[in-house]
Amino acid sequence: MSPLWIVRRIGFYVLVTLVLAFFAVPMLWLASAPFDSKPGLGLRWPDWTFRNVVATFEHPYALTSLVNSLLLCVLATVVTTVLAALAAYALSRVRIPGRDLLLYLLLLLSSVVTGTAAMVPIFVMMLQLGLINSQFGTALVIAGGMLPAAIFILKDFMDAVPRSYEESARVFGASPRQVLSHVVLPVARPGVATIFVWAFVNAWGNFLLPFLLLRDVGQQPAAVLLRTLYDEGGSANLTVIPVFSLLYSIPVVVLYLFVNKRYGFRFHGGIKS
Amino acid sequence: MAGITVEGLSTVYPNGVRAVDELDLEIADGELFALLGPSGCGKTTLLRTIAGLEAATGGAVHIGSRDVTRFQPGDRRVAMVFQDYALFPHMTVSENIAYPLRVRGAAKSVQQETAARTAAGLSLGELLDRRPGQLSGGQQQRAALARAVAASAEVLLLDEPLSNLDARLRLEARTFLKKLQRELALTTVFVTHDQAEALALADRIAVMDAGRIRQLGTPREVFQRPADTFVANFIGSTPMNLVPRGAEIIGVRPEYLTPAAEGLFTGSVSIVENLGVTSLVTLDCGDDQIGYVVPEDDEPAIGATVTVDAPPARVLRYDKETGLLVR
Repeated sequence: MSPLWIVRRIGFYVLVTLVLAFFAVPMLWLASAPFDSKPGLGLRWPDWTFRNVVATFEHPYALTSLVNSLLLCVLATVVTTVLAALAAYALSRVRIPGRDLLLYLLLLLSSVVTGTAAMVPIFVMMLQLGLINSQFGTALVIAGGMLPAAIFILKDFMDAVPRSYEESARVFGASPRQVLSHVVLPVARPGVATIFVWAFVNAWGNFLLPFLLLRDVGQQPAAVLLRTLYDEGGSANLTVIPVFSLLYSIPVVVLYLFVNKRYGFRFHGGIKS
Repeated sequence: MAGITVEGLSTVYPNGVRAVDELDLEIADGELFALLGPSGCGKTTLLRTIAGLEAATGGAVHIGSRDVTRFQPGDRRVAMVFQDYALFPHMTVSENIAYPLRVRGAAKSVQQETAARTAAGLSLGELLDRRPGQLSGGQQQRAALARAVAASAEVLLLDEPLSNLDARLRLEARTFLKKLQRELALTTVFVTHDQAEALALADRIAVMDAGRIRQLGTPREVFQRPADTFVANFIGSTPMNLVPRGAEIIGVRPEYLTPAAEGLFTGSVSIVENLGVTSLVTLDCGDDQIGYVVPEDDEPAIGATVTVDAPPARVLRYDKETGLLVR
């Protein structure tokens, strides 16, 4: 063990500690600040209290916005997952000329369509359809933005489902619907579960579209409401923000744990090769 | 129970390949029938067209008295075992076997009872709650067979049923398959590229090439009197000697040739290959290589000059132009 070696090891551990701290500090803040009597932007051992929690629950829009978020995300996620699964299956099985080009174009355009570039047209379109301030309309737009990527990813999972499974089911008399629900979807389940979580997390964190399309504060989801949490003086409302942030982060974690346990991102083979 | 009649059947793929070409075939009720041929000869396509998984471009398929040419696979009353078995990985063995009944909407209790009964018949009784991934290759094959049997179809179709098993297991499974077919007396068509498998299992064999049947007959007929040089070359564990003589090609199986004082071929021994109880000896006869089989411990020395002969009935003559059997 030369001195140089020791210096290198020390340097390495210092670097790792810094990187760890970079990620750990916000987490620790999220765990401590909600229960601190004087929450600040810094990290310190809290002076325990539940006052902040009470204040957050009494905030006129905090809980409503979380419910709005759930509603919006469940809608968008379900629409995305169902349509993506059906489209991916069809695109995986049907041979049409230019199919791959079509998929790439969809993927490319999707980032443009729901991105900032299309904000004005989307707003005008939704205004003319009378879907401003509609959770349903906003969920559809969010789902539309996620669909191409979801289809693209799910198609790979569908491609990996052996044809012989489907043919086997068909020979035994299964209808196309039965083939899909009995065989294809269960076998592609890890992919569907992945898309479900991915879509939910994406929708949950989406700020721009709900901000544009839901003008009424009572309709806004948590991601948008967070922006409005200021006190009269114009500085951040540190009584509500920590607790609200904690509540805001829970559903995504719970969803991941649930899906991972219930459906599993694992796979078991049944084809003899 | 029903036989299969195929009339002028053609299956052309979208890319223009005629996989099955105006083929006529009659398979009797309860027969164990082999479709044999090299890869790409159209045998699997023919099987899939009978199952309804490929659409016939021309001709007709009858199962029993029903014309099923335009029927969906599920309406044809056929059961099929795929080369990879295609057991559903997310279902247990029991659920897999009961799947044909589940599709038809049978009650859960009926499904379970049928699965248990069928599984017991194929010695899978202990494995009902396992998933396919937890079974050995032989067990997977039996589970796939059990599922096909549980479908109580009129016709059983098997695509390369033994090709995914290792050599020793393949012999066991072959015997098992033949016994099962005898017990069920179910019209069974299987596809294979292995001539030994076809000879051992089948009641009759259709040897196929380029979407057509080259020869149709019992294993004995196909082995003893191949209809043309293609079949002669394809059938037999050691390739048949095919030697041009004038306008004809003379065909003799190595197994029928024995050393004699004078006879068909004379040459010097160039190679001796040990086949276990026998050895395959190759003679250099001018431009031709002649193989013949000798019992063990009876091999000639390398370089020795040997004359071999065969009983006249075992010597076949083929037309050099057409390749067809003359006599």
